[in-house]
Amino acid sequence: MINYLTIFFIKILNIILKLFGKNGGNILGKMALKFNKNIFSHFKVNCPVIAVTATNGKTSTNNCIKYTLSNAGFKVVSNVEGNNMDTGILSTLLKNCTISGKIKADFLCFEVDESYVPIIFKSFRLDALIVLNFFRDQLDRNGEVETLILKIYDFLKTYNGNLILNNDDPNVSRLGKANPNNKKVYYFSVEKYKYATETMKEAGEGKFCPFCKTKLVYEYYQYSHIGKFKCPNCGYGDNKIYKYAYNINLEKRCFDVDGITYSIPGNNIYTIYNHLAVLAVCSLYNIDTEIVLKSFKDFSLNNGRSEEMLIKNCKSIINLAKNPTGANVSIRMLNENETKKDMLFVLNDNLADGKDVSWIWDINFDKLNNVDRIVTSGTRAYDIAIRIKTAGFDENKIFPFLDMESALEKLYETSNIKYIIANYTALQPTRAALKKFNN
Amino acid sequence: MESLKILYLYPDILELYGDYGNIQVLKYRLEKRNFICTIDRYSIGDDAPNFQDYDIVFAGGGADNEQSILATDLIKYKENIKLAVKSGTFFLLICGAYQLFGKYYKDSNGNTTPGLEIFPYYTASNPDKKKRCIGNIVIEATLNEKKTKVIGFENHGGQTFDVFSPFGNVLCGNGNKFGDKYEGFFLDNVIATYLHGPLLSKNPDVADYIIKYCLERKYNREFKLQDLNDEFENLCRKQLLDKFLNK
Ligand SMILES: [Zn+2]
Repeated sequence: MINYLTIFFIKILNIILKLFGKNGGNILGKMALKFNKNIFSHFKVNCPVIAVTATNGKTSTNNCIKYTLSNAGFKVVSNVEGNNMDTGILSTLLKNCTISGKIKADFLCFEVDESYVPIIFKSFRLDALIVLNFFRDQLDRNGEVETLILKIYDFLKTYNGNLILNNDDPNVSRLGKANPNNKKVYYFSVEKYKYATETMKEAGEGKFCPFCKTKLVYEYYQYSHIGKFKCPNCGYGDNKIYKYAYNINLEKRCFDVDGITYSIPGNNIYTIYNHLAVLAVCSLYNIDTEIVLKSFKDFSLNNGRSEEMLIKNCKSIINLAKNPTGANVSIRMLNENETKKDMLFVLNDNLADGKDVSWIWDINFDKLNNVDRIVTSGTRAYDIAIRIKTAGFDENKIFPFLDMESALEKLYETSNIKYIIANYTALQPTRAALKKFNN
Repeated sequence: MESLKILYLYPDILELYGDYGNIQVLKYRLEKRNFICTIDRYSIGDDAPNFQDYDIVFAGGGADNEQSILATDLIKYKENIKLAVKSGTFFLLICGAYQLFGKYYKDSNGNTTPGLEIFPYYTASNPDKKKRCIGNIVIEATLNEKKTKVIGFENHGGQTFDVFSPFGNVLCGNGNKFGDKYEGFFLDNVIATYLHGPLLSKNPDVADYIIKYCLERKYNREFKLQDLNDEFENLCRKQLLDKFLNK
């Protein structure tokens, strides 16, 4: 009875919120959890439930899955706005269920915060879990990444559903060994791409074998600690690959899998990993290849994930970077483009960003390729300016501004291409400021 | 041309909080003044270094579970390190490295990991593992009889006791223990502290203190360091001191 009442009440609340033009966000879920902390187990779901977790790339990957499945004609319920904690997912469920808790959909797909995977799915069915990567991220808020991985590892010991893992991240592929009885473990891997390196170029985690603590040996690094590795002692790293991407062509923005060439809007290595994960899911659920091809070609999030904007007639590429790896892949994109460019780095230290900004010292600003000027902004504009200066970039070409308006005025003094990197709470204000500045 | 040699300990393990930035800042400030800066790295499996060959030894903070792996390695060099400290090599030790140089570390289960016993303090983890000293911190240190405010970020579960000569007085933040008056450990040739940031990036006075100390020790004469363009550092310090101390 209490469940019906909870759902009834939440539904009314949702209607009221809608009347006031509010989206609800996590509020509905928060309220429902207050009424009934076992509410998750009350929903009746008859369709596959897919979840994506990772440090970076959850939102893009989840949205791409939802987009592709929808294109295939399925009704998909998803937390596409990115509310990825228990309360956010609960809000999505509550908005889409009947009064008896039934969810009418062909697929549920969620992006889930890494730390909430065990919490949500201990009482909610899960059919496919995709794990993309684990990087250090806001250490003052999240703690060490190893703690997080161990919690998911523990959860997976009794999990028997599809498990889709990035074979090139030693912290991810180890999860495939959590339950030796699970036959539904699928690994994906990407062939060495043009800018892969023999030594680690950016801060990363995968140094020691998670099983025998021997130093891992890498054949190459794609970015950060993502690459082809093997443990020389126990052989960890050798897995049968379910989906393998090869002929990686960033200029033409395409890659091959199983003899078919897929085109995507993005031109960076981590986007290829994300898409390959989506492809693995689509293959497991028998989605028509033609639909996947078309969906990949058209899908773009336009939400500050390698988003391209035209501001004052200047091509401007804006990318979210909430941790060192996010920033390093953005810097990679910038370095892989030969044309003369300016950079804007917006760094905030609000609660959601983590108050500790020392992670910016894990960003590789060495030998920036054809960068003319760098403007910095955000609440820690000076910290990032010091960081970049110390990396050897000419201090006379670095311009820090605490306020965004002055920063944009400085940035658009030249007609160079603009690469804009913003951390978590800086992203949407930066996008809004860019749009305002353009008008 | 004068030069300084830095030994960077366990760069592949003690690298969690961007502490390597301290070496980058030292190198930057040395090279801007036309001094030569060489950096050697040592980690598990490498040939034994002679600590006395170096002007500066640096070690940072790492993941808890990896720190115990290296403690057993570092202890092999205990006597060599003691001699280096005695002969005046500068030791810059952040967070985990600060703890390692003490008598011991007692974890929340009561297990004790022996330290290098170079310095007489010891560290005990907080019984409540979830409670850590986390946040921005400002301390006031006295370097060459000059007071300076030192800005950083602390993130440690360990509480360090019996520090007879702290690095500074806490103006905001925790320090060696929850709500402590003092932070870090200091001798003329040792700065051991919980401050990340990295420490030297926002505190050019501290960086220059180390550089001056090392040059004067090595060349046995006085050095007057040339001023550098610290515009960004000064703006940053002003902004952050206003923000952290006037809240
Ligand atoms: Zn192994």
